[in-house]
Amino acid sequence: MGVPIFEVDNLRAHYRTRFGQKIQAVDGVSFSLKPGEILGIAGESGCGKTTLVSACMGLYIPPLHLSGGDVRIEGNSIIGMDIETNRRDVLGKKIAMIPQGALNSLNPTRKVKDLASDMIRSHGETADKKVLDTRLRERFEKLGLPGDQVLNAYPVDLPAGMKQRVVIGISTLLDPRVVIADEPTSALDVSTQKAVVKLLFELMDQGIIGSMLFITHELPLLRHVADRIAVMYAGEFVELGTTEQVIFDPHQPYTRALMGSMLSAEPGHRGQKPVAIEGAPPNLAHPIAGCRFAERCPTAQPSCSTNRQALRIVAERQVRCEYAS
Amino acid sequence: MLKNRPTLAYIVGRAGWYAVTFFVAITVNFFLPRLGDANPVDTIMAKVSEGLDATSAKAKEEAYLKEFDLVEVDPTGKVKRDAQGKPVRTSLGHQFVNYLGMSVRFDLGSSILQHPKRVSEIIKAALPWTLALQLPTIVLGWLIGNGLGALAAYRRGVFDKLMYPLALLASAVPAFCFGMLLVYVFGIRLEWFPAVGGYDDGLTPELSFAFFRSASYYYVLPFASVFSIVVGGQAIGMRSMCIYELGTDYVKYAKLLGITESKILFYMFRNAMLPQLTGLALALGTMVAGALIAEMIFSYPGLGMAVLTAIQGNDYPLISGCTLLVTVCVLCANFSVDVLVGFLDPRIRAARQTGK
Amino acid sequence: MRLLKQLLKSPFFVLGAGLFLLTLSIGLLGPSFTNVDVNTRAGLAYMPPSAKHWLGTDHMGVDMISMLVAGLRSSLYVGFLAGTVATSVGTLIGLYGGYKGGLIDDVLTVGTNLFLVIPSLIVLILLSASVENGRSLTLIALIIGCTTWTWSARAVRAQAASLRNRDHVALARINGFGTLGIVFFHIMPYLLSYIFMVFILQMAAGILSEASLSMLGLGPYDSVSLGKILNEAKTNEALTDGAWWAFAPAMVLITTIVFSLYIINTSLEGVFNPRLRK
Repeated sequence: MGVPIFEVDNLRAHYRTRFGQKIQAVDGVSFSLKPGEILGIAGESGCGKTTLVSACMGLYIPPLHLSGGDVRIEGNSIIGMDIETNRRDVLGKKIAMIPQGALNSLNPTRKVKDLASDMIRSHGETADKKVLDTRLRERFEKLGLPGDQVLNAYPVDLPAGMKQRVVIGISTLLDPRVVIADEPTSALDVSTQKAVVKLLFELMDQGIIGSMLFITHELPLLRHVADRIAVMYAGEFVELGTTEQVIFDPHQPYTRALMGSMLSAEPGHRGQKPVAIEGAPPNLAHPIAGCRFAERCPTAQPSCSTNRQALRIVAERQVRCEYAS
Repeated sequence: MLKNRPTLAYIVGRAGWYAVTFFVAITVNFFLPRLGDANPVDTIMAKVSEGLDATSAKAKEEAYLKEFDLVEVDPTGKVKRDAQGKPVRTSLGHQFVNYLGMSVRFDLGSSILQHPKRVSEIIKAALPWTLALQLPTIVLGWLIGNGLGALAAYRRGVFDKLMYPLALLASAVPAFCFGMLLVYVFGIRLEWFPAVGGYDDGLTPELSFAFFRSASYYYVLPFASVFSIVVGGQAIGMRSMCIYELGTDYVKYAKLLGITESKILFYMFRNAMLPQLTGLALALGTMVAGALIAEMIFSYPGLGMAVLTAIQGNDYPLISGCTLLVTVCVLCANFSVDVLVGFLDPRIRAARQTGK
Repeated sequence: MRLLKQLLKSPFFVLGAGLFLLTLSIGLLGPSFTNVDVNTRAGLAYMPPSAKHWLGTDHMGVDMISMLVAGLRSSLYVGFLAGTVATSVGTLIGLYGGYKGGLIDDVLTVGTNLFLVIPSLIVLILLSASVENGRSLTLIALIIGCTTWTWSARAVRAQAASLRNRDHVALARINGFGTLGIVFFHIMPYLLSYIFMVFILQMAAGILSEASLSMLGLGPYDSVSLGKILNEAKTNEALTDGAWWAFAPAMVLITTIVFSLYIINTSLEGVFNPRLRK
């Protein structure tokens, strides 16, 4: 622990629609990751989590564009890199992504080992076929996947749980320093979810993964996975603190509402009825005055709709609400 | 044994299905033209019976009836007669069985119009021309059309905006319209290429350089008319498929893995090609029909012309023969494509394994 | 209505629909404007366009414009009838097979594939050649309809099969709806837009098939159609004579109709399948 390995500094990214509209999907996100740390990012669908992934990795494919901010990995900025350098040195190598829905993330007409070798070769590591095969087999066996069987299979031949492991294996082939896991456990049953999380922990212990960004909408999961949690809403972080703080003692109204809407068997939460949050997130195509959550906030004050909310330190964590105590 | 080799099981299955289809095709080929009441012998007799007296005319008629398998024949070859001495007509069912037997031996009967030429003779002469026109057109057209479509999907921009309406137009223009247009503009007005025929008058088909040179000259316009339409159709389809593939999750994942652009394009092409191949199986019938029509427009000496003259002269053995052959070709082509797709697409193999 | 507004935003749709409506109105309203008479000789054979005959005369001396309007009407009629028949037959088979699944589906699929693979032109040739007399426009349209339904059957079946497992269908089944009821009230309504698109393509195919048949000389014996005009132009040496008016306008008309239908179909696809819009 010590020097941050990954720093995101007021990152902003937007989409340009066919009709010329500008949608600010990520609007000023900042955080840092220390080696070995797991930061969970929680939020509803549409809060900007998935855009954040592309933005953090420096992959801006139109209609997604960078508005501003900086992303640094091991001290070096990746903003402003040309596409080719970014592809070769950063994507998959320094920062890797583990996607959700492993069902569709693997090319159906490509054998697992071919996809894996494509990945390795794309990063300039030309290796003799035999060497590559051995390397892949060793790595896959570490992940608990029967080497030859899985490597020579097509995605369609593998069950869902195994596919997710394969995806994890391929993403982490080059020992990335930062791994962004985007809903890695959605569409999996509970026991498989546990296995996947255990696998990720093992990889971190073995040093194959440096730090992790764990993005999910499943809050109970984060309790067991993350060291710190950031809650995202409408393109911004609204609360950022340790897991204990955010889950058991939320201060921001949205975080509170989110925790209240959880079905949880945790002691202290049992017996509480889940409460749905009414309304929907704001349309980010239009500039929003004041707090973005004001419309749906149960404790909103008149000034909330006009005053731009900034992150403050409340109770030893960052909170975006001027009325949080 | 078949259980453990899904690909083999797949091929055998397809082969069986095509065999059934072939049987249906040959049945259709036999019965449909005979639904009408055209009696081929009458047509020939009309031509031939001038100046013959009643007895010789009758003998000739019986000879023809025998030839066309319309009367029953006893083991010695004499025409069977009923109580009144009239020849016994073969039943349709019987004719069909005989027809099947003959077809297996590649004997498709005699042509009515071009009597006494055998149908198989006529087809043998016409087939090479048709194959020469069909094969390169369809194969090249498919390859180039799909290439253009993929390019348009990947590049977008100006190329796409230009290519798309052009391809749409090319695929919408009916084969004969385009053919006639080409004949008129290039054959008659500009006189760059010959308007009709397969080779210069005065030359006979042979394996000589002069002949090939002449034939290629005559080849250009028919080729161009079918080729453009195939390219147009394929390009449109491939473009849609590629746009779809480029938006899939696995392409996004590959990009995030840092896989090179050229590799990703390879993925796109490979995956989009599969439904295109499957679509090819369906479209083959149309492409072949288009090429046949082109032959008719250009009076190109292939099966198309043979069918046209056969229709105009009510020469139903020839019609049957030609249509049967065309159907067989299409079935073979379809089968080849099915086998190819079975090898290339693991999803089909998996579906076969798990039993759909 | 909202759908219509969305469609009108697409330039493709406007172009296609516009062209089609144009040709349709020429066909429907033509007789009201010019004297359509395909039987009397109005002039000499192959007279070039003049003030009296805007598009000249054909090989028999009949006014070309009359021929074109009459031909257009026939072709549109055939296209519409053949398209309707093909779509109806295909949809019924596709819906039934797609919904039922199992053995019935397998049998229907094999049957459909059978006729799909055998080139429809071949069957058309065989059927038309056997019908010596009485090859009326309606009969030809029916024949075309009965040979080109395979494509729509396949397309509709795939859609119906995907809807088969939806919850509302299961609910209907529990409520005691019979097969017919479910197919017509719970599956077909979702597919109406798709079926409409299929109809458009079948119509285009019908017009093309009729034109091809006429080119072969297997066209209607009692009426004028666009394909027949082209056939007559070819057999009467209009090409070599340079009488472009005898075939060029007919070609343009056929191409325009088919092209406009294709464009309409593409734009409909763009509206119903947003992925392609990007």
